Amino acid sequence: MGTQFPPFSSLIRGLDRPDKKERLLVKKAKNYKAQIGIAVVIVALIAIVGIRIPKFLSLENILNVIRQTSIVSLVSYGSAMVIIVKGIDLSVGGLIAFCAMVSGLMMKAGIPMAIAIAAGILAGAIMGLFSGIMVEKLEVPAFITTLVIGQVANGFALMLNGGNSIGGFSDAYVFIGNGKILGIPVSIYITLFFVVLSYLIMNRSKLGTHIYAYGGNAQVVRNQGISTAKINYFVFTFSGICAAVAGILLSAQMNTVHPAQGGNYQLDAVAACVIGGVNMAGGEGKVYNALLGALLIGFLRNALNLIGLHPYYQNLIVGVLIIAIVAFSMYKRHKKVELSKVY
Amino acid sequence: MEKTNRISAGERIRNFVKENGSFVIFMLICLLASCTIPRFASIKNFALILKQAAIPIIGCLGMTCVLMTGGIDLSLGYMIGLSSISIGLLIKTYEVPIALSICLTLLLGAAVGLINGLCVQKIRVPAFITTLGTGYVLLGVAQIISNGASINRLPQAFLILGKTKVLGKLNTTVLISLAFCAVFYYLLHCSTFGRRLSAFGLSEPTSRLSGIQTSRINISAYVICAVLASVCGMLLSIDVNCAQPTMGGGDYTFTIITGCVLGGVSLFGGVGSVPGVIFGMLTLKVINNCINLMNAPYYLGSAIQGIVILLDIILENIKNRKL
Repeated sequence: MGTQFPPFSSLIRGLDRPDKKERLLVKKAKNYKAQIGIAVVIVALIAIVGIRIPKFLSLENILNVIRQTSIVSLVSYGSAMVIIVKGIDLSVGGLIAFCAMVSGLMMKAGIPMAIAIAAGILAGAIMGLFSGIMVEKLEVPAFITTLVIGQVANGFALMLNGGNSIGGFSDAYVFIGNGKILGIPVSIYITLFFVVLSYLIMNRSKLGTHIYAYGGNAQVVRNQGISTAKINYFVFTFSGICAAVAGILLSAQMNTVHPAQGGNYQLDAVAACVIGGVNMAGGEGKVYNALLGALLIGFLRNALNLIGLHPYYQNLIVGVLIIAIVAFSMYKRHKKVELSKVY
Repeated sequence: MEKTNRISAGERIRNFVKENGSFVIFMLICLLASCTIPRFASIKNFALILKQAAIPIIGCLGMTCVLMTGGIDLSLGYMIGLSSISIGLLIKTYEVPIALSICLTLLLGAAVGLINGLCVQKIRVPAFITTLGTGYVLLGVAQIISNGASINRLPQAFLILGKTKVLGKLNTTVLISLAFCAVFYYLLHCSTFGRRLSAFGLSEPTSRLSGIQTSRINISAYVICAVLASVCGMLLSIDVNCAQPTMGGGDYTFTIITGCVLGGVSLFGGVGSVPGVIFGMLTLKVINNCINLMNAPYYLGSAIQGIVILLDIILENIKNRKL
């Protein structure tokens, strides 16, 4: 007896390190850190405000906030994908107005709802594809491409109906925005559908792997013989589709299409993505975390509203919070990072 | 030997177009407009375009500095609003002497720029997010200190600064803008600061290794941008004789970025020129002016403007690749 043998695995060089499975687990836990952080912040926020204002915790209010944030979160899935390939999509605001205007006008012209909605989504997809072609073929930076495409889309939204808004849609259309199935608003189902869809694309398909790889290092992807055109076209088209769905949903919620309804959704979406841990330097971040980011902003605004804070102060607090959250995550993740460039 | 040294006429034209893309596009659009729109080619109209472009050009100069570092300043438009309302409050409500209140507003701009720069450089928050956040904050602050109300009828002594007529059709605002252009031409093209800025934008590690104080360069770019934004805010309030917290705003920022890009400033950093930016902004204003002169309904204007800018950017990119 006496001498104890070291475990067998350590006798073979290399096996004393944690094995592959273990390393993957550690990596996964690290990846979940950001996500858990946001979830904790959301829960803490809900708890603190909930104790002071019981109304905040009512199921109705919570569902309502989720329903209201569904627009931003829908947009942010597309934006997250574009950010992952080192781009940015600023055309979203314009598309929200333009696509809703297309389907709204078609419905007013007596075309069936399903076809009108499909046409609106198609319009978004085409505009998105056009951004993708500009970025891929003409090598114009995504920032300026989508900025201008957004302006064109905004202009089209104004032009299509002479600058007027459209209102008074059919009950079926309003049901998409305000109706409930099993007590849960339809908007939430649509949001969830898109979360699952983008999860499947990004994390369970070959295309998703290519998208992450392209964001991480474009040259390597090109050298591997993977078509970068396919990636760019898909990402921007998907973002266009998300924006179109968001626009149609927004108009259904309000029962009107307003030519300026796009507002600042593109910036809110980027903020949601970044709060959700999508790295603006590309190649990193989970699309479904954008949902958490959007929810955080939504719940915060709602809480501030219920507390009775003036909207002026809300801007201030949301601004500080965006910087603080990102600063915190940057500080935790890599203490010495290069200055990140976007576009 | 001689043959290789001589540059043919075609080559010379090609080089000229390559280096002065925004000027060439500006001239093309002007030519096209003067052929098709009767009232376009008049001194009065050009004076109007110059007056309209004067203030945004100042903003463009600041934005160029930030874009050259590879960053971006989305808070510029909101800084314009904040400086507008603060100069209004200082001069009208608190009756602070004009010179002092201008200095205070410039200082406010510098402080905001410093915060932006420190966040970007020291905490490494991406510039896009930092300035997006500070933009929200500035808007909030501007609305809080003014209670959302604007201040009308600024004192005459303040208005004189920007509204005095010079050379018949122009006013002092154009002269101030020209002075800023001259200073920035020197700064960006003739001084070591411009060289360092460009080097920093092209490659941060390389410039650090070659002994440039990168953090100082980066932070100063944001400070310059915010200070110029507050100059813009003051001049805009003089222009409309009203100080508003919502002046400028997000759209103004994006107009200024578009002007910079049309002027050949690279969004990837390191490349930018003052004459280019001037003609980029002038191109935007000429497009606007043409749409107005054609009496197009307001709801057509935005779409036409967007499409023309799109074509302009495509042309610029084709030029960069083919020439």
